[in-house]
Amino acid sequence: MENILTVRNLSKSFKENKVLKSIDFEVNQGEILCFLGPNGAGKSTTINILTAALQSDGGEVLYKGEKIGGRLHGYKKQLGVVPQDIALYEELSAERNVRFFTSLYGLHGKELDAAVDKALEFAELADKRHDKVKTFSGGMKRRLNIACAIAHSPDIVIMDEPTVGIDPQSRNHILDSIKRLRENGMTILYTTHYMEEVEAISTRIIIMDHGSIIAEGTNESLKEEFQNEKRYFIEVEDTMSLNANDFYSVEGVKNAAIKDKQIQIISLKGIENLDRIIALLSDKDIKIRNISSETASLETVFLKLTGRKLRD
Amino acid sequence: MRGFIEIFKMDFKNLIRNPVLVGYNTVFSILLTLIMGFLTSGAYANPTDAYNYYAVSFLIYCMLSGAMTSTNCFMERDIKKPNLRIIHSPVGSFPIYFSKIVSSFLFDYICHLLVILILTLSLYLNFGGANIGYIILLMAPIEFAASALGVFFCCIFKTEEAASTLLSNAISILAFLGGTFFSFDGMGGVLAFASRLSPVKWMNDTFFSIIYDADISLVLPLFAGSVVVSAVLVFGCSKLFKTEDYLC
Repeated sequence: MENILTVRNLSKSFKENKVLKSIDFEVNQGEILCFLGPNGAGKSTTINILTAALQSDGGEVLYKGEKIGGRLHGYKKQLGVVPQDIALYEELSAERNVRFFTSLYGLHGKELDAAVDKALEFAELADKRHDKVKTFSGGMKRRLNIACAIAHSPDIVIMDEPTVGIDPQSRNHILDSIKRLRENGMTILYTTHYMEEVEAISTRIIIMDHGSIIAEGTNESLKEEFQNEKRYFIEVEDTMSLNANDFYSVEGVKNAAIKDKQIQIISLKGIENLDRIIALLSDKDIKIRNISSETASLETVFLKLTGRKLRD
Repeated sequence: MRGFIEIFKMDFKNLIRNPVLVGYNTVFSILLTLIMGFLTSGAYANPTDAYNYYAVSFLIYCMLSGAMTSTNCFMERDIKKPNLRIIHSPVGSFPIYFSKIVSSFLFDYICHLLVILILTLSLYLNFGGANIGYIILLMAPIEFAASALGVFFCCIFKTEEAASTLLSNAISILAFLGGTFFSFDGMGGVLAFASRLSPVKWMNDTFFSIIYDADISLVLPLFAGSVVVSAVLVFGCSKLFKTEDYLC
């Protein structure tokens, strides 16, 4: 994939507080790159520097190999920004909002009309185009917030926590629409502290904490890299004849615990031993009701990296 | 240029849609004139003179208070959020603050011309008779300077609340000293001296000399002074305005 943005040694301080500590990363054409991290990790600061709304103290940002400082106008034309806050004129209609913000990107006449229509259809707000924004639900405003950012068909869409404060249905709608943007050839940079969103849409993830990038990779590769154990939850009919120590005879089992009628086993990843655990239970004539395993999550990856939960 | 025009049109429409600002720039000034004119009419040989004095002095006061229109247009909480999108667009930073100055100026200017029209037609007040053109001409750079002052204060203090509070207090003090409510001319001593230091006093003197004495000798200095102040303030905005101020 073609490299579209390159970030080198980016740093930023607010007074004594170093919010970005010389970070480097690249963005490839057509990917959904998600920035995951708790509040204060430096995600929004990174985004604000990439949108050229904030000056960095050091480092550089290159768009298609050229520094953005020298060609800011052209660079900004290729950006669509969805701010964290709903940035709309409440007293105006949906169409007037999209039309105004899109006109700032040099579109006019029929080209502007077509772009506005397309964006409103994309946001599924075409039938509400003449309604004032103040009459919209939170989810509709969020969708319009995105429509205003993409109407001029930018190369890169930067979204700063665009699903804050909305219901799950609207969130899913927005996540689906982000995937559609990618299918249309746009590159998406997405910040969030919701790992479920990252798992749903990302093609690559950058995990940030305290102004640094602490991990980078795909959803699968990060879990693979940082998750070196797996958990089984086995529900049985009776545990009377069972001792947790019995399971340590099975290769790879690190920990076993029995509580009521449930057995929890932590096993080393890479050792296939579930069949032996089941055999052990069969030998003791214990009937199994249910078996499940915990899938590795980005939450556990983050916990391993920082010793903290993502939303702590 | 197209970007600037689009932003200017939007800012101007937002101002017109704001009933508080429309009321403040029209009804407020008329009400003040009526109340103060009525209360002090007994002190004047001709009661109409009381209304005329306050019509002119409150017009100047409201023109200067136009600075609060531009602070609202620039950094009012609900306006600031959509303005953030303008920051992200490729229009550059100059059209962002300059459109606020120009739209506020035009809005205030139209409102205050309307006030003159209403007071002239309803109370037959004197705004210079044949010399009214000089009054209307002088109003323009003063209104512009006031709008530029509002945006300049926002660039310094970063919030509408801080900028508006400071401006409101400063303008009220200058207006008080300048004789908006009652003249300090006859009081002598420190009060008369302090009054002479207030720019509001210079404006009052210029406007009254045009209206009552048909004397236009002060028009050029006040006009030129207002233009210079406007230019300095716009230059100051260009140096102080940082897009990141909008992010917080």
